[in-house]
Amino acid sequence: MLSYWKFHRLKLLSIITCAHAGLLSYLLAGALKPLDEFVILDILGEGGSAMMAFIWICLILKSRPAGRVTTLLTAGLGCVFFSLWMDFLDEFMQLPEALHWDHWLESTPMPIGLLLLTIGLYHWHREQLGLNQQMRKRERLFREHLHFDTLTPLSSADYLKRQIELERKRYLETQQTFSLIVVDMNDFAVLNRVHGHAEGDRVLQAVSQLLIMNLRQHDLLCRLAGDRFVALLPNTGTFLAQTLAQELERAVRHFAYKSQSHGETLTLSITAAVCIAGDESAEQVLERLQSALAQAKQDTLRRAA
Amino acid sequence: MIWYERDQRCIPAHHQPACLIDLALSRGIEQHRLMRGTGLFYDDVLAGQTRISPEHFLRLLQNAEHLLSAPDTSFLLGQRLLPGHYGAASLALSHAANLQEALDLLVRHRASLSPLFAPRLVHDEQYLCLYWIDSCGAGTTRRFMAETCQTTVAAMCRWLSGEHLPWHFLFSHAQPSYLEQYQAHLGNQLHFNAQIDAMIIAREYLIKPWPRAQSTAGRIAQRDALTEQASQAMEQGFLEHIYALLQADARQPASLESLAVQLGISPSTLKRKLHKHGTHFQAVYDQVRKHVALYLYWSRGLTNEEVADYLGFHDTTNFRRAFKRWTGCVPSILKPLA
Repeated sequence: MLSYWKFHRLKLLSIITCAHAGLLSYLLAGALKPLDEFVILDILGEGGSAMMAFIWICLILKSRPAGRVTTLLTAGLGCVFFSLWMDFLDEFMQLPEALHWDHWLESTPMPIGLLLLTIGLYHWHREQLGLNQQMRKRERLFREHLHFDTLTPLSSADYLKRQIELERKRYLETQQTFSLIVVDMNDFAVLNRVHGHAEGDRVLQAVSQLLIMNLRQHDLLCRLAGDRFVALLPNTGTFLAQTLAQELERAVRHFAYKSQSHGETLTLSITAAVCIAGDESAEQVLERLQSALAQAKQDTLRRAA
Repeated sequence: MIWYERDQRCIPAHHQPACLIDLALSRGIEQHRLMRGTGLFYDDVLAGQTRISPEHFLRLLQNAEHLLSAPDTSFLLGQRLLPGHYGAASLALSHAANLQEALDLLVRHRASLSPLFAPRLVHDEQYLCLYWIDSCGAGTTRRFMAETCQTTVAAMCRWLSGEHLPWHFLFSHAQPSYLEQYQAHLGNQLHFNAQIDAMIIAREYLIKPWPRAQSTAGRIAQRDALTEQASQAMEQGFLEHIYALLQADARQPASLESLAVQLGISPSTLKRKLHKHGTHFQAVYDQVRKHVALYLYWSRGLTNEEVADYLGFHDTTNFRRAFKRWTGCVPSILKPLA
């Protein structure tokens, strides 16, 4: 699992140090309130809020690489957390009337924190627009991280099925058919046995990138299973789909993949099949696609023999 | 014949478990989470001396399934398991002259080649059927095991024969939502809710020579494998052992007591052992008679009356009721595959 903890030790340490400093200053300056002055509801509310803020900080630090946006978000949430934390301590401690800094420590960090958080969120929004641009051809208008494939930077079969259902709805409204290309690698099992499964994984990652580059802006590529990929081509007829499929086959044939262990070139090839779809369920479409692929594989074998 | 039980340390950790560990580690799973509850440490696996019990291996499989949480885990594991690196049996398998020899070796050395799910062979004039018996009480891992084992044999045959063999795959479970994984890894000849976990192929493929075989090396490896097997003195898992005993006498009525006598243990010990493996006498006995009945229908084409008579039922009504209990359906709807 990729984790960014180790880049953020300093940030986390400074937040914890600040919290401790606040606690120490209260302990030095004030005295503990008597038990009957504790207000349970306030303690729970403020303590819980402080804990939530700290959990947000942890989630952000765990999931984001270091950078400007991360620093802003952490600093903002850090201030919010500190303010809530001081509020929480206030419930237990009685400070002399003459002191005013406790009030300052409670109230000032909150607006500063919210300001920093807002700036951070604005830049995060800009960053997300950039990432969306990079994610094109891998997702369409809808994101569900549970449907990400675990090996390649593509979405999985579940996401594809969902998209096919959406296209079917669109077909019922506009009568525009869509096409699918299924791509299966030839002799991938042999490659796994000869070069090892780790090399096979890398080949799948490389091929998925290559296929993406050979598709149009509005097409969607998903990994169906194993060494099998499916491209969803909205608003596309059979002829165009076949042309695209042939282009994919050519692209993989001319792809000079270098193995990681010895850097030798591995020759790859794929078999592609297409089918056009309209008002059918995702299962029916995929069923037809699988039989088209089986037919195409047999044709390839016959040509080779 | 000596059997192994669920809690006996009989599976070398550097054999099948190591394949699973490699797969999980290559997908970024942390060692300690993968091996939680198995009493196993990665250093022990590397030392190459540790053995784990079927129970712990099953736990390891469950952990991997849960942590990887991808529908292709069983299929990816299946592609790595055979012919494997499990001593002389693996070597003999990789030099098998043809499908017949490979499957015979697989069945003979199933304790080391497939310790959790036992492969068994049955054939008629046209077809050969390799079916699987849960030998250690897989429980909830059953479907995962069925997927893994059938992929294992299909992938091995493809590698050693150099071609795609036209297997039919039968699964006792219902069609899962990730059908595309089955299609990509096994092919399009899939049958779910089939009452049995089995793979079937036409007999003409049995004796087609395989290109990788080296006859002399293969014969020596086969001899060594037999020696190794004799030294380990373990041929099958407890549940499969019972299955085999009951199947051999399928025409005679059997009971917990008669089976205990055959095994040389007391009925209460037998009951306890069955319970440990997550099952009971009636379940195993029903499974045996169901399999026999299916074989008689599918392969020998017998009628209801003949099957009932073969299994010692006095009238067909009784038999039909029993069959409904074993399978959830009446005999007439089970059509032969071919």
